[in-house]
Amino acid sequence: MEKSKWPPGDLVIWIFIMAELLVFGIFFAAYAFTRANHIELFNTYQATLDQNAALLNTLALITSSYFVVRAVAAIKVDDSKKCFQWLLAALFMGLVFLVIKAIEYENHFSQGINLSTNTFYMFYLSLTFFHFLHVALGMVILVAVALKAHAGGYSAREHTGVETGASYWHMVDLLWMILFPLVYVMK
Amino acid sequence: MNTMTENKYLVRPCTWIFLLLMGLTLVTWFIGLKQFSGLQVSLMVLGIALLKGQLIGDYFMDLRRVSGFWRWAVAIWLLLAGSLISYAFYISA
Repeated sequence: MEKSKWPPGDLVIWIFIMAELLVFGIFFAAYAFTRANHIELFNTYQATLDQNAALLNTLALITSSYFVVRAVAAIKVDDSKKCFQWLLAALFMGLVFLVIKAIEYENHFSQGINLSTNTFYMFYLSLTFFHFLHVALGMVILVAVALKAHAGGYSAREHTGVETGASYWHMVDLLWMILFPLVYVMK
Repeated sequence: MNTMTENKYLVRPCTWIFLLLMGLTLVTWFIGLKQFSGLQVSLMVLGIALLKGQLIGDYFMDLRRVSGFWRWAVAIWLLLAGSLISYAFYISA
């Protein structure tokens, strides 16, 4: 297996990804250390969250990430049409994530829950909404990549844009892999 | 790169990793559903999450085909974040 010195895509996106991981890492640690001082409160309100919705969202993001892998594989063999189709499928799964999360938020807000309800909900809402925004941004990037792929703008020789968008999208998936158990399951 | 090479190094392994990630997610969900709690359970759930993160880095992000710092960038982040979270759960147990 041939190894490259640089990660797939534009190096700038990787610097951005590392900065994003650092910020989320600090948020995760802040959640965990704050929980250490409010265990009963966190355990009580964590039990009010919809774990089935979180499961569906996790499966949606993993599936979406896999579809993006297939899009990258397609463009590497010069198949723009398949690359575009896989990206559309990935975008659909991203949309599924956003809709499910929006329904969860709607349920919380209809019960009068907001950022100032308590410390747990402050963390839960801000962490998940920050991630929600990253999913939305990732989808904007994937739409731009998909449109260019549809127009034949990528090839087996030059597909840095596809790999750049893919790397960002996988980061969004990676963050949720920690966020889901931390906020919904670990007690 | 031809179709066979892409299938061998990217698509086929990533398909298995995709199925593994789905399976590990179901395990995490089941633990949450049954309301299992305690330090050992939390650390096991976190361990599964870190493994999933590493698999995404290695296979979906394709960092296993990279050398040097970037090969380990995601792993280092997972180690740091995982250590901090583990410590916070340890002191609260």
